[in-house]
Amino acid sequence: MRKISFLQQLATQLSLTLVGLFVILPVWGMVRLAFDGTLKGRPTEFRLLPKIWSFDAFMQVLDKPYQSVDFQVLLKNSLFVSFSAALIAILLGMSLAYAFARFRFPGRQSGLFALLLTAVLPPVAFMTPLYIILSLIHIRTTLLALIITYATFAMPFCIWNMRSAFQAIPKEIEEAAFLDGASDLTSFLLVTLPLALPSIAVAGLIAFLMAYSEFTIGWLFVEKADTVTLAMSIYAMVQSQYTGGAQPWSFLGSLTIIMSIPVVIIFLIFQRTLLERMMFGSLGD
Amino acid sequence: MDTNRLTNYLPTRPISLISNDQLNVLFTRAFQMTKTFRVLFYTISVLLVVAIAFGLRARAASMLPIDFDEDDYLRAGQEYAHLIRTSNWSGFLETNYRPEHPPLAKIMIGLIILSAPEEALIPDASTSALPNKNLPTDLVKPARTLNAIFGTMTVAIVALINPLAGLFLASHILTIRYVSQIMLEAIPFLISLLAAISYLKAKQSKRSGLNRWLILSAIFLGLTAASKYLYCVIGIAILVDWYLDAKEKDSVKISLRTVALWGVLAIVVFFLFDPYLWPNPIGRLSESIFYHAGYSSSATEVQNAGFPVWQPFFWLFFFPTWFNKSLFPFPSDPFIMILALFGLSRLWNKERLYVLWLGIAMAFLLVWPTKWPQYIMILTVPLSFAAAEGLFIVRDNLLEWWGARKTRAKTHYNKTETRRALPWLIPGLIAFTILTVCPLFFQFGVSLTDFNSASIRDGFNGGIWRSISLGITGEIPAQPANLETRSDKVNFVGLNSYPDVFSFITYSNNWSMLFFNVLWTVLSILLQCGLGLGVAFLLWQHGVRFGKFWQVLFILPWAIPEMIGAMMWVNIFQRDWGWLYLAADKFGKDSFFAVFANGLDKSPSMWLIVFLLPAIWYGFPFMMLAASIGLKTIPREVLDAATIDGSSIWQTFKYVTWPLLLPLLIPAIIVRGIFAFNQFYLFQAFGFSDSTLATLSYNIFNPSNGFGGYGGQFAVSATINIITVILLMFFVMVFNRWSKAGEGVTYA
Repeated sequence: MRKISFLQQLATQLSLTLVGLFVILPVWGMVRLAFDGTLKGRPTEFRLLPKIWSFDAFMQVLDKPYQSVDFQVLLKNSLFVSFSAALIAILLGMSLAYAFARFRFPGRQSGLFALLLTAVLPPVAFMTPLYIILSLIHIRTTLLALIITYATFAMPFCIWNMRSAFQAIPKEIEEAAFLDGASDLTSFLLVTLPLALPSIAVAGLIAFLMAYSEFTIGWLFVEKADTVTLAMSIYAMVQSQYTGGAQPWSFLGSLTIIMSIPVVIIFLIFQRTLLERMMFGSLGD
Repeated sequence: MDTNRLTNYLPTRPISLISNDQLNVLFTRAFQMTKTFRVLFYTISVLLVVAIAFGLRARAASMLPIDFDEDDYLRAGQEYAHLIRTSNWSGFLETNYRPEHPPLAKIMIGLIILSAPEEALIPDASTSALPNKNLPTDLVKPARTLNAIFGTMTVAIVALINPLAGLFLASHILTIRYVSQIMLEAIPFLISLLAAISYLKAKQSKRSGLNRWLILSAIFLGLTAASKYLYCVIGIAILVDWYLDAKEKDSVKISLRTVALWGVLAIVVFFLFDPYLWPNPIGRLSESIFYHAGYSSSATEVQNAGFPVWQPFFWLFFFPTWFNKSLFPFPSDPFIMILALFGLSRLWNKERLYVLWLGIAMAFLLVWPTKWPQYIMILTVPLSFAAAEGLFIVRDNLLEWWGARKTRAKTHYNKTETRRALPWLIPGLIAFTILTVCPLFFQFGVSLTDFNSASIRDGFNGGIWRSISLGITGEIPAQPANLETRSDKVNFVGLNSYPDVFSFITYSNNWSMLFFNVLWTVLSILLQCGLGLGVAFLLWQHGVRFGKFWQVLFILPWAIPEMIGAMMWVNIFQRDWGWLYLAADKFGKDSFFAVFANGLDKSPSMWLIVFLLPAIWYGFPFMMLAASIGLKTIPREVLDAATIDGSSIWQTFKYVTWPLLLPLLIPAIIVRGIFAFNQFYLFQAFGFSDSTLATLSYNIFNPSNGFGGYGGQFAVSATINIITVILLMFFVMVFNRWSKAGEGVTYA
């Protein structure tokens, strides 16, 4: 292929800049809010840059973002809930994923179909029944309920991905271990699992991020301030704004930025693997 | 020798009553009918279709209530009838009630009501007036019958070409309705079809130049124009088809003269049959044409209807049948439309003109600001041809599936393997069932009750269990579902709430949530795919500067959590304090921002754009990444080789790049499509109070808009939820079957 000419280069850069503007515009809107030290409540005039640059909002948010709850408490809740949810989804789903990857048994096809169906359902489809069920057994407003809810959202997806991870490992390796006298369990633990671990970890990471950044649905499972997660405090801010709350919008901007930065970094580093997992492992190599 | 032949007849396998081979032979026999049988079958089916068509139209003509505009056209007919009765031939030059439409169809109405005694002239009324219920029956009847007969003749001609297409046209409800009333549709409906057919005949005939069939088609086109302008889209379709044809044969210049003659002839015929134009051709013609432009932008009824750009699609999918349930018990339109979508490409190969006709008419309807349902009539003929091809495709698929069932390997389950699988299956299955399957079943249970926030105390104190368990075991009877009157006890209603909720989803307040959901999904995928692919191709060019930088920047929206991204867009479009509105304040009333914001307050089409922007923003990076990865797998040498072999850029793309890219793109499209169908956070972030401009997911979360405006309609939410699950189940099944690449996603 020939290198592109100067004119083509110019046209390309120009169109890429346009797309770049489209990408950056809404992000910039948040950044401007976050760094504006003059905001008392909602923004009242059109500005492209903050009136006075200031880090105050970030400092404030890193101290006590929501009511009188410390940032650390919120972060701890967030990490605890997300990590537990991902772990439950992975651990409880793993054996099922392995069974579907390795063995033939009656009902396998319909099982796969059910699995796929649950993986493509919107989270809201699980939210409404879980809300009622968890209310019925009186644990709706605990962290455990949040963990169960997020684990439910993530589980079908994780099972599907772990299954394709197990399938990618040649059966012959296991058979060799089997011939050497290893049981199914030992050959799984010592041979297959270590090989599949990287893919499983990525599936778990996606489950983690899902729980970490979810707040609309989770908000329904909260009554007391000590079960609020970091992401939910954003929602709390938005809610208080609609009801005429007094917090400056720069708080909202800075909190969303603080929250998003780790996620963005993870996505940039793992972009290709994440993409592959999100496409249910069909990208291949 | 004889014995040898005998063994041929002896069965080599144990005999079943009819063997598979014999069955297959019978199958093929049935399709290779003898010629006489074919002719007989064809004749009978054409006659049958015509009979059905006439039956349905005659029934509609006698039973439909009087509609808008019928009084106007009947009055126009009366005026012409009066002229004929008094032999006042010069009166034709000055008479044309409702002059925005040419007179031919109205004159026909006048001719037919000559048979009835003369009645007092129907009073003049404005175009926005309500239907006149007091029309004289002895005039309505012949006028409607005339229209119904023209409608039936159209079906007959379509059926002669393709009986199946005729059947579809015969049962298309929108078509039945508007050819059975005193409208101006039925006559141009027939004549425009005749113009198309004569043109096709001309194309087949050996004689080039302006042959007999071509002359005929010009005459029919002129007559179409003299009946109703809108139907002239067939003329444009013919021109495009002719141009494509001539370009293939490299004879554009030669046949230009023929086309010019054809056009002039059509115009002459139009003037001949539009006597109203004779005294002042230019003035009256421009008056009638500019009337439509003015009407679409200023008439109150058009403004009040407030139809969005895509309303024609809506009419095609969900033409309301509620106005007369007893007349139209079965809503056939959506099925015809879906089959037509499947049949388009096959129809293109068979007869390009029909697809062009359909496409041009649709494009015109989308652009044209007035969106009355009867305008759809200009494309229902090609639509039914496409639907017939769609049904053939479905048949072929079924036959293929039937034929392949033998080759599908039967899975034999090994008992030891099953036993080995059990210890792995059981723990996972228990967890999976508790976490995901149970909630869904429970949700189904709730959808059988009328649980809502009024009965929440009873519900959480055992009311839900009580009503579901007693109801399912039949100990208490199912109550009728009164979702708007809320009792404080949970009642078992069985499946009774499903019809209400389903009609709420498919058609409420002149709008359809389900339709919006599908439209939303299709548009989001198309746009995301377009931008993603475009950017991927730009970055893929050899020697692009800053490629890495751009790629990192473009991944950003994908990396930002969806709800936060949605809030960033809310920050722009939020009423009163979003960027857009602040900018509108700052730059004044005439600025782009103010105009945009103003349009936003009024129009659902604008809201669709506003919602699509974040959807593209959020989704295109995914498509870009998938496409980039796919493009990297294509060796540059292959492309170089193609270039050396002299293939153009377009050919390289079509035959090399695209086929290599597609298998990777299809799973990405499916994933994004499901995502778009389920889109929830975006609509939730915008907090739109009107539930109809949002997906089903949003309505599961906020289920209360259609049922008395109360909050907390848990049972409605559950019912929408179950319907969504069923729809997605259907999608997954279709993907499984229809795309081989989809198998990559599903059974990888």
